[in-house]
Amino acid sequence: MKSKIHLFFLVIFFTYGINFYSQTIVSTRHNLSVSGPGTIKAVSETEICIFCHTPHNSSPRSPLWNKPDPGVTYTLYSSSTIQGNPGQPDRSSILCLSCHDGTIALGNVLSRTNDIVFVSGITTLPPGTTNLSTDLSDDHPVSFLYNSTLASQDGELADPSTLTGPVKLEDGYLECTACHDPHLNVNGDFLVVTNQYSNLCLYCHQKNFWNNSAHKTSNATWNGSGTNPWFHTNYTTVTENACENCHNPHTASSQFRLMNFTPEENNCLVCHNGNVANKNIQSELNKPYSHNVAAYNGIHDPEEPNIVQIKHVECADCHNPHAVNDVTANPPDANGFIQGVKGVNADGNPVSEIQYQYELCYRCHADSPDKPGSPTTRQIEQSNVRLEFDIGNPSYHPIEGQGANPNVPSLISPLSESSVIYCTDCHASNGSNAPAGPHGSIYPHILKYNYETADYTQESYLAYELCYQCHDRNSILNNESFSKHKKHIVNIRTPCNVCHDPHGISSSQGNTTNNTHLINFDISIVQPAMMGRLEFIDDGTFAGRCYLRCHRRQHNPKRYP
Amino acid sequence: MLRSILYFAVVLAFTGVVFGQSITGSAHDFSDSTWNSSGEICVICHAPHVQDYTNPPEPLWNHQVTTATFTLYSSSTLNATVSQPDGYSKLCLSCHDGTVAIDNFGGNTAGTEHVSGDALIGTDLSNDHPVSFTYDATLATADGGLFDPANTNSGLGGTIDEDMLFGGKLQCASCHNPHDDTVAKFLVKSNATSALCLTCHNK
Repeated sequence: MKSKIHLFFLVIFFTYGINFYSQTIVSTRHNLSVSGPGTIKAVSETEICIFCHTPHNSSPRSPLWNKPDPGVTYTLYSSSTIQGNPGQPDRSSILCLSCHDGTIALGNVLSRTNDIVFVSGITTLPPGTTNLSTDLSDDHPVSFLYNSTLASQDGELADPSTLTGPVKLEDGYLECTACHDPHLNVNGDFLVVTNQYSNLCLYCHQKNFWNNSAHKTSNATWNGSGTNPWFHTNYTTVTENACENCHNPHTASSQFRLMNFTPEENNCLVCHNGNVANKNIQSELNKPYSHNVAAYNGIHDPEEPNIVQIKHVECADCHNPHAVNDVTANPPDANGFIQGVKGVNADGNPVSEIQYQYELCYRCHADSPDKPGSPTTRQIEQSNVRLEFDIGNPSYHPIEGQGANPNVPSLISPLSESSVIYCTDCHASNGSNAPAGPHGSIYPHILKYNYETADYTQESYLAYELCYQCHDRNSILNNESFSKHKKHIVNIRTPCNVCHDPHGISSSQGNTTNNTHLINFDISIVQPAMMGRLEFIDDGTFAGRCYLRCHRRQHNPKRYP
Repeated sequence: MLRSILYFAVVLAFTGVVFGQSITGSAHDFSDSTWNSSGEICVICHAPHVQDYTNPPEPLWNHQVTTATFTLYSSSTLNATVSQPDGYSKLCLSCHDGTVAIDNFGGNTAGTEHVSGDALIGTDLSNDHPVSFTYDATLATADGGLFDPANTNSGLGGTIDEDMLFGGKLQCASCHNPHDDTVAKFLVKSNATSALCLTCHNK
């Protein structure tokens, strides 16, 4: 008999209860009443709306708000790249915070004399991801005016007039309710639309280059090793996580730009360590010579000048994670890996988006006051590589354009005298399967191959492996250009670097008589001849003279051919 | 026997039929009040032959009507057009706004008894659920979080429009039945599980 009665009520409940209430607040964690599905709920209160709303004698705040204002001053989000001006939380945001800042008891409602009692003695929202605290500096900003002016100032925000769908502003202000609908939780986290593929973020955030970015398109998955890169989502691919690969809208690890991890590089390396991305950049950075991003913290800023003022390197100095892709290019054009980054052009002027790879390198290695020095002590000293590679120079490796020398018989096909090369043809991670780019190398100066510079080095292919990649060893040792190459390199054991300055000689310091063929002597090895003369003189094709003293031999002068 | 009783109770609950209750003994029963010399209940609000107040609205209204100008509810998320209280709401407010004495009935204008405490709504309605607005399918569509009153059950026997609206308008009497306090606060039905709120609000 009793079981039949129970069955009857169950039928009634499922007929009228579940169907009627499905997909409403009743089935969400925001049903804090005794019938709520969550663990945080009232002991006996049956009303659902009461935790936020009352039909009479509400707080002055609409809609018929039933809770007191927190009355606290919040720490607000700030960043060097924010154009908006978040105020203290207002409008719907302060309503949300009247539970979610953790300062007011969940059961503290205006329409009840005493606080509504919660199970387990819970009063205020327990610590956790839903308790934002009064420090909102690690949360997406709210309570800022989002108008066309802001959109155009930022340059990567949708015009608010396009927000006609699920994402809504409140009196022109962005509030919690732009992203969250407290009454409906079909998308998880009470989001107004799903954030799979960052669908929600992209309603407002329209990042330049994003549509072709690998971080938008990649189907890579996490192999389960190390740190979970997607700890705050349920998505399992890069493309699904999209913005959330790096950013966390609430309780972010770094308050600036709401990054998932600190320090900066960990946002990249959590995936680019062999656990998600194909190539392992972390292992390159662990090599003895690297662009050591771990050595700097908090110096890089997206708004920093194009010409870097304080020495540092972070992944984001060379890569734009919103733009990066695997589109290939030919020298000197920048490829997809460094698309959408700022740089300094051949004239030394800032460019907001590089066209050529070298424009990126020039940010630090050209006019920067904190640039690295030259490793070799030379007759002509120059550490500004932009001046060294200038195509008006007497000689230079062809980075910005075709080289100065029309006769280079050693060049290995398809290279020719008209070829242009990348900085990264010499400076890159070593190893045949290493990821492209100058991340790290076992060789000094992040060279891709071995390049001996010490005096009396025994010649071998490996000793000058770097040079021999382009300059055919047989041609060099057969004296096809300089007739004394073999004598110098093999017999007397003089490294290439002693006579040649591989970047180039600035026209402001050198000339076409003394400094063709990258001649700029290492003066720790090459001494002046008697009378103090230290000079190479170009006497035309494959001909010249030297005045110097080296390896105890006087050239005063010695001529070739 | 138990089975039959339970069945009857369930049917009643779901059809909205309520047990016969009257105003007698409720907070609206002023028959024992010292200022009500007649000892009658209905007379505070109604009289068979109304004669004393100008332009008295129905139903046979026997109480002085408020002339206050009210501060109305507003919200950025409110789609309805809310007017100054009219219809039945204005009758309720003729005591509950506190400007008219409860004992200003039957022609009296010198009353001294005023509503107080939770029952006092005042003339500031900005913190009260809006009333005197047209609630129809157009509003429901514009809001997106309201049921269509024409084809949504009220739980009182018919549709919202039939049972809870007055000339298509939401009024105090949509939620409150001044003659029946079976459910506390004179509610037209229980608000356990916020069932009254969720009759209209599709949240």
